[in-house]
Amino acid sequence: MRAFKGLLVVFFTLFLCLPAWGKVYIDIDSPAFQQFPTAIPDFRNMGTSEDREGLSRWFSEHLSSALDITGYFRMIEKGAFLEDPNSAGITAEETKFSDWSVVGADFLIKGGFNYDGKKLSVEFRLFDVVEGKLITGKKYWGKIEEKKAMMLRFVGEILHALTGERGVFDTKIAFVGKRGNESEIYTVNFDGTDLQKITNFKSLSLLPHWSPDANRISLTSYLRNNPDYYIVDLRNGKVKRTSEYVGLNLSGPWSAHGEKALLVLSKEGNEEIYTITIENGKLERLTNDPSIDVSPSWSPDDKSIAFVSNRSGSPQVFIMDAEGKNARRLTFEGSYNTSPAWSPKGKKIVYEGSSNGSFQLFTIDEDGNNAMQITFERGGAEDPCWSPDGRYLAFSSKIGQERRICIVNSNGLNLRVLDEIEGIQSLESPSWSPHLNLY
Amino acid sequence: MKRNIFIIGALVLICSFSFVFITGCAKTPETQIMKDTAATQAEQDKAAAAAEAAALAAEKAALEEQMLQEKLLAEADSFKDIRFAFDKYDLSPEARGVLSKLADWLNANQDFEVTIEGHCDERGTTEYNLALGERRAEAAKAYLTNLGVDTMKITTISYGEELPMDPASNEEAWAKNRRDHFVVFSKK
Repeated sequence: MRAFKGLLVVFFTLFLCLPAWGKVYIDIDSPAFQQFPTAIPDFRNMGTSEDREGLSRWFSEHLSSALDITGYFRMIEKGAFLEDPNSAGITAEETKFSDWSVVGADFLIKGGFNYDGKKLSVEFRLFDVVEGKLITGKKYWGKIEEKKAMMLRFVGEILHALTGERGVFDTKIAFVGKRGNESEIYTVNFDGTDLQKITNFKSLSLLPHWSPDANRISLTSYLRNNPDYYIVDLRNGKVKRTSEYVGLNLSGPWSAHGEKALLVLSKEGNEEIYTITIENGKLERLTNDPSIDVSPSWSPDDKSIAFVSNRSGSPQVFIMDAEGKNARRLTFEGSYNTSPAWSPKGKKIVYEGSSNGSFQLFTIDEDGNNAMQITFERGGAEDPCWSPDGRYLAFSSKIGQERRICIVNSNGLNLRVLDEIEGIQSLESPSWSPHLNLY
Repeated sequence: MKRNIFIIGALVLICSFSFVFITGCAKTPETQIMKDTAATQAEQDKAAAAAEAAALAAEKAALEEQMLQEKLLAEADSFKDIRFAFDKYDLSPEARGVLSKLADWLNANQDFEVTIEGHCDERGTTEYNLALGERRAEAAKAYLTNLGVDTMKITTISYGEELPMDPASNEEAWAKNRRDHFVVFSKK
């Protein structure tokens, strides 16, 4: 995929709008956000060869489902369209925008392709139906195998134009897949494709965390009959046991530059938060309290750490400086608040709290204001983590008898459940990768 | 010529005699050896019988030992899981009762060690529950140590919420899952 980058050529720039453009329309993080009503007619065959690959439908359908996954778009049924895709052109001049506004579309995406059996070229155009003008357009050249990459690249362009960011189609989610008394670590792409098994320890393996370069995943495993801390190198599959103290060695998030990671150890007879230098295993102890101190999460600037402690009687979220000083309680509502994750955009922290007998997700500002429940799932919501752009949350929820990985927009709306995996009973503990530049 | 014959005859006689003498002499040790062999056989039979008896005794002893071990392990097995309240790791009076019996038993049976597994119900997160499970196991260990059990004979491990006894999501299952489980094993 990475070699593919060189083949892409930017085509239209004339009417390209600035990222701020989207904000004129709507704040997509607001709970009041209404999805963009969008129409995508089948793509037009611009070449002389017959469309043997069914590209006309492939592009419109895959673009629709990709945009649907983002949660920002509401796709308008093709059956409602007035325009004939076989005769209509794909430029603004050739488009009758009133035909699209009448079916309720605010946005229109048109495209055309030319495939001669060897080379594929595709044009994509995003139109503002109300204004009747082009927002952004791109043309890509490549091989037929690269059609998905081309499509997702343009999805990135659309998201950038409308939301100011390119989205997270180039990210993966790591999670724990359980079966009986064993569990392994898996990864899957944001859109649910490309499932991969990362460990094959035939033991209990838990708490996956990505390194910031996405080359490694840390985890805790009972492989040697103690919950030890391991690092798996995804490039060569090598596994290194990095911390093996008696008692708990609980894997936590990596620092922004990846030279350190947060770790919970109980070697002194009580659970304390440490940093470990990945290179040499050097420890630095951050907490010193007889209570349970677990679940550390760095702020995006690595200057503060949110964590869970029961030092005030029940589990609550606290914040301390990165050196372990000035611990202060953040959550006061409810008797059980845990699993904090600091938004990569800063300011906000998501955590899970007990609410009417189940656990649900809440967000709170880092100054302790605006605590707000954002999920209301029947099967509860646990172990939240943010997407690298801070626009989505992944968590686990009990659906039927077993846990599944769910994804919602940061306002708690647009729930999407990742597919179950054959032979795996329970999917838990999601961890979102950084951007991987897949497309 | 006759004299020559006589000499030859004499020589033959001598030779024959010598032969007889030699073979006669050779015969005696052979008999002795046979006798010795007979004696060894008898001794061997006796030794074998003794060995067999010893083996039988050893086998019996081993069997008895095994039965004792099994009996002891069955006894050890009767040390039921102790249970905990939600988000708690303090020992209930019932839990203390079980631990006192376990302590007496471990003190009486010095060849045995125990692993205490701490478990939680599914509510709350993996990490907090791993810590809570550890606290539950450590609470039991501290109690046993206070009752004189050698600390070196007790190991603890927390499985948090990862290995529920009952996977259901209701109060009854949760109560069963919030537990310390004891695995007693012989050092031998």
